[in-house]
This record gives sequence, structure tokens and C-alpha cells, in this order.
Amino acid sequence: MEISAEAAKLLAVGFAMGFGALGPAIGIGLIGRGAMDALGRNPEARGPILTNMILAIAFAESVAIYVLIIAILLIFVV
Amino acid sequence: MSSRFRVVPALVVIGLALAIASFIGGSVGAMIADREPVAFLAVHPPHLQVPPGHPFGSSPVSNTMLAAWLTIALLGLVFFLGTRKMKLVPGAFQNALEYLCEFAGGFVEEMVGKEHERRMFPLIMTVFLFVLINAWLALLPGFETIKLNGEPLLRSANTDINVPLMLAVVCVVMIEYWGLRSRGVAYLKSFFDLHHLVRAAKSIRHGYLRDSLVNVFYGGIYFFVGILELLGHAVRVLSFSFRLFGNMTAGVVLTSVALFLVPLVLPSVFYGLEALFGLVQAVVFAGLTAVFGYAAVSSTEH
Repeated sequence: MEISAEAAKLLAVGFAMGFGALGPAIGIGLIGRGAMDALGRNPEARGPILTNMILAIAFAESVAIYVLIIAILLIFVV
Repeated sequence: MSSRFRVVPALVVIGLALAIASFIGGSVGAMIADREPVAFLAVHPPHLQVPPGHPFGSSPVSNTMLAAWLTIALLGLVFFLGTRKMKLVPGAFQNALEYLCEFAGGFVEEMVGKEHERRMFPLIMTVFLFVLINAWLALLPGFETIKLNGEPLLRSANTDINVPLMLAVVCVVMIEYWGLRSRGVAYLKSFFDLHHLVRAAKSIRHGYLRDSLVNVFYGGIYFFVGILELLGHAVRVLSFSFRLFGNMTAGVVLTSVALFLVPLVLPSVFYGLEALFGLVQAVVFAGLTAVFGYAAVSSTEH
């Protein structure tokens, strides 16, 4: 079965973004859950909790951004 | 205005009608029904251009460079005008700038502690303001629509890979500098952790075989961890730059896709999303510099 380069590229982009965004999405959800737990236990520490949550989410999201860069590179440049 | 005529639901209905009409009459409806789209709703398909464009012909000045200069000029002008005649009891404009700086200073102090805040604040605040104004200026009408020689005259500076790369390199170099300045050579030694291996050599000399084997085992592990830590520091450049570049480019692609699909009304939602993302990415870039700077200057010894 012969797969053309165009078809292979489109498949690769779909798989990359589909599987690549799965991990970070779950990770961000877990971080949010941890933040909600901490906020529920100690509502007074709202400032630090939110700040650290935003930073942790940025870390997790950057992995999804790496995958997006690869996908964009595949679609538009290769 | 009569009380029986409710404005907001009417506006929502009109907006929805316009959106649906533009969806049907625009490019997507044209593709489905195999006809030409209505003239003023015809948007060309989203096309991403990764390298910056050069609207001035052979001159190396790119459109992103021009936008970055605009940001610098705007920030310089605002802060120059605000601090020109500084009074002890400030006027409105100076007060606003002071509030901004104090708020950011409190944020940095929360992350790095009082004794390091003073020397980390300038870089962190500058990076934050530069990224933020770069992102928000790109939302003004005229960016990427005014064209000269077929290339857009202005383009968000964050979408050019050079600008996030430059910011990332500067921040990582400064983080290492702060670490070296605060902790001296011990900062470098934390990457090549030969502590346990030295102890293993000493106990072999005194004849304790089991103790030295245990220390060799731990020494190998800790040395490997130190090398990984060094690698992690180097990867930070890539991580910082790709986080900012990826978010900004994704925002541009998302907005152009939204404009292609539903030309009227709907893209304003994505516009707000872009504004929010610009702010979040600026906070994240500056905040991560602060966090890594704190990790570099604080001793992790037991």
C-alpha cells in the first residue's frame, strides 16, 4: 500500500496534535484540582495558590505548545 | 428608552443573525454550496508565515522589528512623561506608574524574598512590559492589514522567533549570573556533585569497603542527576522561547481561522482570548524568570 507524502503529512499532523495535547490537558486538570483542594482547605492563601497554579499550568502547557510547533512546522513548512 | 424594549437580548439576536449570515454567505458556505462567496465576506484561507516579512524591499528591517521599535518607543515615552517632574506627592499619571511598579515589586518580592527583589526587579519588569505591550499592540487595527510592497507593514514582534529567543537567552544568562554572583563557585559545583565519590575514596583509604561501595553507588546517581540538572538549565532557553512564540503564533493562526470561518461578530471572542493570552504569557515569562532566579540564588544544601 503506497501512502503519498501529502497523506502521510496530514496523518502525522493529526496524530501529533491529537496525542500530544492529551497529556498536558490531563496535567493541567490535575494542577487545577490540586489548587482547588488547597484553596478549599485554606481560603486565605488565595494569592500564592493562584500565582503558583498559573506558573505550574504554564509549565504543563508549554509541552502542548512544543507539539503545536511541530504540527505547524509539518503542515506549513515541510 | 421604553422599558419594554430590552437592548441586550436584541443585540445578542442581531449579533447571532449576523454571524450566521456571514457563515452562510462567506467562504465556508461557498465551499459547501459550490458558489462564490459574497464579495465583502470573502476572506482568504488562513496562511501562516513563520519568517518575518520585509516590507522595505532589500532593507533588513522586518515588520516585526518595526513593531518592536514601536513598543520600545511607546514604553519609553510613557515612562519618560511619567517621571519627568517627579513630586513627593505624585500627580495622577506618576501615581499610576508607581502603583504598577509597586504591584509588580510586591509580586517579585513574594517569589524571591526581600533581599533579592531589588536586583531581579528591573529585568523582570522590563521583560513583562515588553512582552505585554508587544502582544497588546498587535491587537490594534492596522497590524498585518496595512501592506507595503505586498508584505504587512507591522506584525506582532512576539511572532518572530528572534524576539522570544532573545528574551529567553537574556533571562537564562541573567539567572546563571545571579546564581554565580550569589553563591560563587559552589553554584557550579552543584552540577558536578562529586561529594559522595570523594567520601567513597576516603573510606576506601581507611579500609571501609561496604561504606565506600554505598557511597560510590550514591555518588554515581547524584553525579548523573547533576548532569541532568545542567541539561535542564540549557533546555530552559528553548522552553522559554517556544512557550512565548508558540502561544503567540497559535493565537494568530486561531484568529485567522476564526476570521475565515465566520467573518462577522465571532472573531471578537478570539480577540478577547488573544488579549488574555498576551497578559498570561507576559506574567508567565516574568514569573518563571523570577522563580528560576530564586532557585539559582537560594542554597539547596542540607
